Amino acid sequence: MHSLFQFFRIIDLAGMSRYRWILALLAIFYSSLSICTASIVRPISESHRSAALELFVPVDESFGSLENTYEALRTLEILGLEKTYDISRATCKAVLETLGSSPSITKDLFYALKVNGILKCQIEAINFEGIASNMLAVLKNANSLPDFYYSIGSLLLIKKHGFEVILPDSDGAFHSIKALSQSDGRWRYDSNGAESSTYAAGMALEALAGIVFLADSEVDQSMIGVVKNDIVKLFDIIKSYNDGTLYFNDKYVHSSDYKSPLEISAAVVRGVTSFAEVSSGKLNIPGNKILGLAKFFLSIGVPGSSKDLFHQIESLSCLENNRIYIPLVISLPGTVLSLTSRDQLKVDVTTVFGAAAPPLSVKLVQAFNSNSEGKPIIENQELHFDKENSIHYLDIASLKMDVGKYKLIFEVSLHNLEDESKYATGGLTSFSAFFTGSIKIDKGELAILNSDGGSAETIEKLDLSKDSFLSLSANHLQKFRLSFQLTTPLGHTFKPHQVFLKLRHETKVEHLFVIDSSARQYKLILDFLGLVEKFYYLSGKYDIELTVGDATMENSFLRTLGFVELDLPEPPEKAAQPPPQPADPYLRYGPKQEISHIFRAPEKRPPKELSLAFLALTFLPLIGFIIGLTKLGVNLKLFPSSPGPAAFSILFHAGIAAVLLLYGLFWLKLDLFTALKALCFLGPFLVFVGHRTLSHLASTSAKLKSS
Amino acid sequence: MAKMLFLPLLILLLFLFECESFSAENPTDRRLLVLVDDLAIRSSHSLYFKFLESRGYVLEFRLADDPKLALQRYGHYLYDGLVIFSPSVQRFGGSLDQAAVLDFVDAGHDLILAADSYASDLIRGIASECGVDFDEDPDAVVIDHVGYAVSEIDGEHTLIAADDFIQSDVILGEKKIEAPVLFRGIGHSVNPASTLVLKVLSASPSAYSASPKTKLSTPSITGSTIALVSVVQARNNARMLISGSLDLFSNRHEKSGNEQFVTEISKWVFHERGHLKAVNVTHHRVAELAEPAMYRINDDLEYSIEIYEWSGSSWKPYVADDVQVQFYMMSPYVLKSLSTDLKGLYFTSFKVPDVYGVFQFKVEYQRLGYTSLSLSKQIPVRPFRHNEYERFIPAAFPYYGASFSTMAGFFIFTIVYLYNK
Repeated sequence: MHSLFQFFRIIDLAGMSRYRWILALLAIFYSSLSICTASIVRPISESHRSAALELFVPVDESFGSLENTYEALRTLEILGLEKTYDISRATCKAVLETLGSSPSITKDLFYALKVNGILKCQIEAINFEGIASNMLAVLKNANSLPDFYYSIGSLLLIKKHGFEVILPDSDGAFHSIKALSQSDGRWRYDSNGAESSTYAAGMALEALAGIVFLADSEVDQSMIGVVKNDIVKLFDIIKSYNDGTLYFNDKYVHSSDYKSPLEISAAVVRGVTSFAEVSSGKLNIPGNKILGLAKFFLSIGVPGSSKDLFHQIESLSCLENNRIYIPLVISLPGTVLSLTSRDQLKVDVTTVFGAAAPPLSVKLVQAFNSNSEGKPIIENQELHFDKENSIHYLDIASLKMDVGKYKLIFEVSLHNLEDESKYATGGLTSFSAFFTGSIKIDKGELAILNSDGGSAETIEKLDLSKDSFLSLSANHLQKFRLSFQLTTPLGHTFKPHQVFLKLRHETKVEHLFVIDSSARQYKLILDFLGLVEKFYYLSGKYDIELTVGDATMENSFLRTLGFVELDLPEPPEKAAQPPPQPADPYLRYGPKQEISHIFRAPEKRPPKELSLAFLALTFLPLIGFIIGLTKLGVNLKLFPSSPGPAAFSILFHAGIAAVLLLYGLFWLKLDLFTALKALCFLGPFLVFVGHRTLSHLASTSAKLKSS
Repeated sequence: MAKMLFLPLLILLLFLFECESFSAENPTDRRLLVLVDDLAIRSSHSLYFKFLESRGYVLEFRLADDPKLALQRYGHYLYDGLVIFSPSVQRFGGSLDQAAVLDFVDAGHDLILAADSYASDLIRGIASECGVDFDEDPDAVVIDHVGYAVSEIDGEHTLIAADDFIQSDVILGEKKIEAPVLFRGIGHSVNPASTLVLKVLSASPSAYSASPKTKLSTPSITGSTIALVSVVQARNNARMLISGSLDLFSNRHEKSGNEQFVTEISKWVFHERGHLKAVNVTHHRVAELAEPAMYRINDDLEYSIEIYEWSGSSWKPYVADDVQVQFYMMSPYVLKSLSTDLKGLYFTSFKVPDVYGVFQFKVEYQRLGYTSLSLSKQIPVRPFRHNEYERFIPAAFPYYGASFSTMAGFFIFTIVYLYNK
């Protein structure tokens, strides 16, 4: 559970450049008090082990490149997990290959030797003498820091494998590395105008330590003294976050060879601790700085990348056994202590890997209430020591402390005097802690008052330990009163951070009232007359909600109390409109109602039978006419008998029939133009044949008359 | 000579690279610029970045005040998406500023913006341009004394457990987020008039936004109106995620719903979900295949459209039952839901209304979390021609009968009148 909420300070603090000057002020303030402020750092724990197992997973019995392999193996080794994976077969093959091909790159060789140091592959198969002489040659021609670093590192490893390595000109090598150092304690990578960097300083110190270790004769002590001075200068440019963690960083960052503060700090720690290991006497670095560095590594928590985890774990292991100061980490397993469940105030003092500290005692020097700083509540309270769990504790019930937020200042004092020069405890350390408890709520009362002198219309008692469903009604001439009392377990009035009353209208318009405490009780009086405008003249049902909460209140709550039916006057014309409420996104996006077109209704028509009946009727006169003609006894005696006129007569009538037929066709399918075209031909023809027929008939009748 | 060869090659390479980037056919972003205050965020938020890299994104980390920052060169954008994880930056370095970020979004690119307590005015400015207003009190954080994450080492109740998610599978994935999201940061409010901003994660009713250090005056936002994480989908389908917490994306909260929440919502922001395209819009008369230039009133027509959703790597058929088409002239005359064959094809048929004029087929598809589809196709509708009306109306038969019988009578009469003796 702890790991879940482990602080990851970097993020919080990295984003504070704007407040750097505040931090600087704070730093001055705190350094004057010499109290290390609290970030809760915890020693390396199980969560690191499980993270390491998750991050370092071999693929095909290999962790990738030799450098990555070394990082994985080293991390797992430090965490005591070296037996987890058996990758020796594939990796040893790669190691032997690298070591066998003699003119390979020094960096690869260096990591191959390092991996071999852990895995102990077949040593017999390796030509260490050859490699050593190669390395000596490289060292002789070396002029840049990485060359020095890798060649000396390799020689050192060969020596650790049990082969005699003699460094012929140790003073010369020492001087050429030292020549790259800068006045501020940093180093350059080479003499060709490279920028000075803190990371290079770490590498250089490690290389120098290697030279001292390998040297055939004693290295000049005055030179070592100069380097020691450089280290002190290097620690002068250490940077700090405002929670007391210290780190190294480089100013100039090119994204290509960017080194994170973690990498740089790790390099410096490796260099400084290995130099401290080989140099006689003690390095003059204050214990606080070592402790600050340790806290920096721990404050990262569980890193997400394997490289970061390696740097964190390796540099912490360097710090765990160094000759300067071994940092002791003071941590509080819990800073939220419940008075209800009678928690103990526990303080844990361990090394960075969680190992037991030497005999010591922890004292609660002072405890302040954060709200009213000034007089400490408790002074000089010695913590008890629980040998079984090796934890220092204090029963908070015996402290008679009320709920609240406190600043606790602890002091660690070592029992043995010789430990004082070995361990760094950091003097006074302050933490802030929350003492939480259950707050008693009583005398809850809700009333509607009449405006005249405050006679009560309705008074309802409230039980605020559960939801209630009161239904009240009021008009704009009345007042609303809510009151209740909050008391701490020790019987003091409790003033929580959050005391809200919310009135919510049916249309979701909300009104928030912060309730102030007066004397011993919380009281809120709402005079609706003065509030009508604020309420936008909205009459209707208002839900009442009360929220009481505080960081130290275990029973913070949000209760619905019921509703009040408000009867407010009609809004005047220029009254403000209630603010628009956000539209429900689910409703806004739904499909729309379908629309189908309503077509015009067709005109009303008589039934078909009726039309047909009338059609039949229209033929009756024709039939009557034909019957009449037959009754009259018509004849065709005047039809010309001679063939010429008879032909014209037939043509004339055929022409009439054709015109009538054209009408029929016009009705059936022809359009006007076709019909007129046909009529153009038929018309003159009809006039011609008609004239011949009629003139013949006329001449025949004239003959008859004359005869 | 070698140099002369090298240059065209480089241009060709650049061109190829360009082709891989954001386009309408391939809407997922590829190149992301991550702006941070401190490169340590790379390791503290490594799980999130690793997730992005595993989805094929190319991340470029830069300090937010890097003097060489630029989003575009020679008028071309160098990135498809921008991740601003630098809440405290006062001024961006290089040519980047608030206007440049907004132009980037206006050009259809995506943005993830994480603020935090101590968010700078620049970050607040960008957020408010997107329709999200962070609490103006610089010390305010979201506090919830009822729904907080129980912890033995954090007593301020500023790490709150929020589980009021937006109900949208497309934004948050189909798998329900079981564990609450642990949120430590500042709250914001969303402009109620804005239709483009959606609250994805809201605080519980008991939350409020205030400074835990000072005595409380009336807080500016309380309860469920506090938005913790919001998304914006602009009209050009650019997507933005605005979170009041940078810590939300960090590796720290292992057993919470944070990881699922941020990964799912990032998929949405970078268009791996909810990006629709409509193709093959066709319409024709029933029993015809060719698309006519014009319809006549009362024609029966068939309309079909294909809609696909981008799945991050390919276009998959989009399945829904609420796609609607409108036959529109100033107002919709017909609005009909389309049926689907579940393979991306949506179709329907209807009768053209008996009103003539210039109509449009309109598909306005706007759904929560999806990019909006807005298609319209113009088509004129004409009335009947003179010869297209009904010709033999039964009710007129008596008139026809009368004329024709008169004509027949006339014919007989001419014969009888001329030749009778």
